[in-house]
Amino acid sequence: MTAMSDPGIHIFNHSAMATQFQVRIAGEEKTYAAQVAQTAFALIDNLESKLSRFQENSEISHIATLAVGEQLRLTEPVFACLNTAQKMEAATGGAFSITAAALKKQSEQPLWALLPAEFSIRCERGQLEFDLGAIGKGFALDRVAQLMEEWSCPAYLLVAGGSSILAGEPPPGKTGWNCGLGTGEKEKRYLLKNESMSSSGIAAQGRHILDPRNGQPATTRDNTWAMTDSATESDALSTAAMVLSEAEIAGVVARNPAWLVFLRGEKDEKNWRQLGQRPMPPVA
Amino acid sequence: MKTADNSYEKAGGKISRREFLGTTAVAGAGLLLGGCSAESQKTEVAPPKFSGKKLNVALFGCGAQGQVLLESLTVIESIQLVAIVDIWDYNRKMIVRRLKSIDQPVKDYPDQEELLANEKNLDAVIVATPDFWHAPITNACLKAGLHVYCEKMMSNTIEGARSMVKTMQETGKLLQIGHQRRSNPRYIFALNKLIHDAQICGKLTSAQAEWNRPVTADMGFPKHSEMSSETLAKYGYKDMHQFRNWRWFKALGGSPLADLGAHQIDIFNWFLGGLPSSVVASGGVDYYKNHEWFDNAMVIYEYPRADGSTLRAFYQVQTTSSSDDGYFEKFKGDEGSVKMSENPSFCALKQEDRSIKDWDELAAKNYIRRVDVPPPSEDEKIDPREEIPMFKYSIPVQFAKKMHQPHLENFFDAIRGTAKLNCPGDVAFASEYVIHKAVEAVETGKRIVITKEETEA
Repeated sequence: MTAMSDPGIHIFNHSAMATQFQVRIAGEEKTYAAQVAQTAFALIDNLESKLSRFQENSEISHIATLAVGEQLRLTEPVFACLNTAQKMEAATGGAFSITAAALKKQSEQPLWALLPAEFSIRCERGQLEFDLGAIGKGFALDRVAQLMEEWSCPAYLLVAGGSSILAGEPPPGKTGWNCGLGTGEKEKRYLLKNESMSSSGIAAQGRHILDPRNGQPATTRDNTWAMTDSATESDALSTAAMVLSEAEIAGVVARNPAWLVFLRGEKDEKNWRQLGQRPMPPVA
Repeated sequence: MKTADNSYEKAGGKISRREFLGTTAVAGAGLLLGGCSAESQKTEVAPPKFSGKKLNVALFGCGAQGQVLLESLTVIESIQLVAIVDIWDYNRKMIVRRLKSIDQPVKDYPDQEELLANEKNLDAVIVATPDFWHAPITNACLKAGLHVYCEKMMSNTIEGARSMVKTMQETGKLLQIGHQRRSNPRYIFALNKLIHDAQICGKLTSAQAEWNRPVTADMGFPKHSEMSSETLAKYGYKDMHQFRNWRWFKALGGSPLADLGAHQIDIFNWFLGGLPSSVVASGGVDYYKNHEWFDNAMVIYEYPRADGSTLRAFYQVQTTSSSDDGYFEKFKGDEGSVKMSENPSFCALKQEDRSIKDWDELAAKNYIRRVDVPPPSEDEKIDPREEIPMFKYSIPVQFAKKMHQPHLENFFDAIRGTAKLNCPGDVAFASEYVIHKAVEAVETGKRIVITKEETEA
C-alpha cells in the first residue's frame, strides 16, 4: 500500500484476488485516508478468504464438496454474491455463469439453489465448482463502496486489476473521475461519478473466457466494456458480453435500462457502438 | 478440574477417527481422511443437519477477532447466537445489521454486566475483547454458570490467566482458550501421523517458527463514531486511538509475542510434548514511533528431551516486513522436516538424504501425498538428458471450514459431553506462561530459567 504525492488525491495499492486493487480517495486528510484504505483492504482480504476457489478453507471450496441434496449455511457476503451471480446468469440468458468451466469436466452444468429462509445453498446436480473470477472483484468493490459510506468518505475511485472501476463522488471541484475505454490513441475517456465500468478481453489472459452455454472459449470479440450502477453487475456483464452476439446484448440491455455495453469493431477499431439506454457520462 | 499430569500431551494431541472425520470435510477426490487405511479414499461429505437442542451463546467483543469468530458462529448449526456486547456503538450496530441481514437477529448490549443481568438462558459465551478484559469477563461468566471460550492470550498478565484457571476449577465449568490450531485437522494429522506414527522427522533436533507481518497504519475509526471520554475511561482507555490500537500498549495488550507468537509458541509446546526450560530473547521498538510494546522480537527456547538432549526452538515475530513466507512453524529432525502453517500453501515436507524411509510407501499408506511437479520449460533446461520426473510430498489433509470453526465446534461438543476440550484453561496457562517469560526476556535482556512447577496454575 503506497500513498501518492498528489496532495489532493491519496492512492493506495494492495494485492489480492490474484490482482492489484487500488483505492483513490479525495478530499480527506492523508492519515484518515490511509486508515480507510487499510480497512478497505482488510475487507477485500476477508472477502477473498470466503470467495476464492484457491483457498481450501473458503466457502467456495466448501461448496465444492457438497453432494447432491446437501446444503450449507453461508455467510452473508457469500450468499449475497451468489445471489447476484444467479441474477446475472438469468439476466444474460446464461451467457454469464460462475460454472462456465463445468462442461470441461461434467457432462452438464451443475445445478444449485439458494435457500433465503435458511441462508443456505443446496446442491441440486453435479459438483458445484464455482469460479467467481468474473464477479468477485466487482463484488469486492461494491462492498468497499459501502465501507466508504460508513467512513463518510464520499469521493473515491476503486479499481480492481484495471478491469473493474467503481467511482464514487468526484474529487472536490471536478465533474467526475477521468476513466477511459481501451488504451493509447484509441481510448475514449469519460468522467465517471457514482457508477461502475468494467472491461473484459483477451489481451491479458488470451481467450480464457468460456461460453457457459457450450463450454467453448469465447471467440465473438476481443474486448467489451460495461457500465452499470454496481461493480458486481458491470464485472459480470462485461464478461457475458464477450460471448453474446450483438443482437443478444441489445436484448439484455433493453431489459435492463441501467446497463450500457460498449463494443468496438474488430476490423475497424474506430467503429464504437454503445448498446443500452443508460445515459452516457460526460466525455472527459 | 485439575488436569492430570499427562493431559498436556493428550490435550488436542490425540483424536479418534470419528472425531477426525467430524471436524474434516473433503474438497475433491483422493484426499485423506482418517488416514492410513484403505478406506481413506472415501469422500466424506458435510455433516448432517443438526436436529438437537441448540446451545444459546453470547459474543463478548465485536472487534476484528470477534468478527472472525462471528463468521464461524453464524454457520455452526448447533448453536444460537442470542446476544452480543461491545462498548463501541459503531461495532455493535454493524454486527446487529449484519446478523439481521441473514435473519439471525440478536440482542445487543453496551456493557457486559448488563448482558449477564438480562440474558438468563445462556449456555456459553465467547470472549473476544482486548486482552486486558479477558480475565475479568471470563471469571464473571464462569461464576455465572456459563462455559467460556476465551481468545488467546488468556490475559495480558500471568496473574490474570492464573485467576481464570482457578475460577474454572472452582466452578467446574469449561474454559476453552482460542489456540485454534489445536483443533485444526491438518495439525492434528501432522503431529499424530507424521511426527509420531511415521516418524518422518526421525529424531527432532530443532524447531523454528516465524510470523512476518507488513507495516500497517494505526487503526482508525469513522468520523462521528467516537465514544465519549467518559465511556472510554470507564472501560480503561485513554482515548479512541488507544481503544482502536490497544495492542500497542503495555497495560492493555501483551506484545506481538502474545498477539502473533502465542499461536506458534503454543505449537512448539504442543508438538514437542512439553515446555521449555529456559528462554533468551531480543527485541525492541525498531520501527514504530508510537508503540509501547516492541515491534520485532527474536526468541530462543531450550526444550529438554526425554533422551537427555536439548532441542532449541527459534521464534521470530516481525511487524515491519511480510517477507520470509508469512507465518509458519517448522519441526526439523535428522531424517526430515515438517513445515506447518494455517495457510496450506506454506506447508511443506522434506526428507533428508540420509533417511532410508520409503516415502512412496508412506504415500501408498496415505500418510503423505506425492504430488507431481511440472517439468521445467525448454528455456530452463541446461543440458539435454532424459528427464527424471519431478515430484514433492505434501500433507494429505484438507478441510473446507473456516479456520476457527473446528476449535469452536470442539468447545460446543465438549459442552454436550461428546468431546474433550482441545485447549482447556490449565493447558493453555502452561503454554502461555512461557510466552510471558519470552516477553520478560525481551524486556530484561536476561536468560530466564523456567521450572515445571511455575508453569502450573
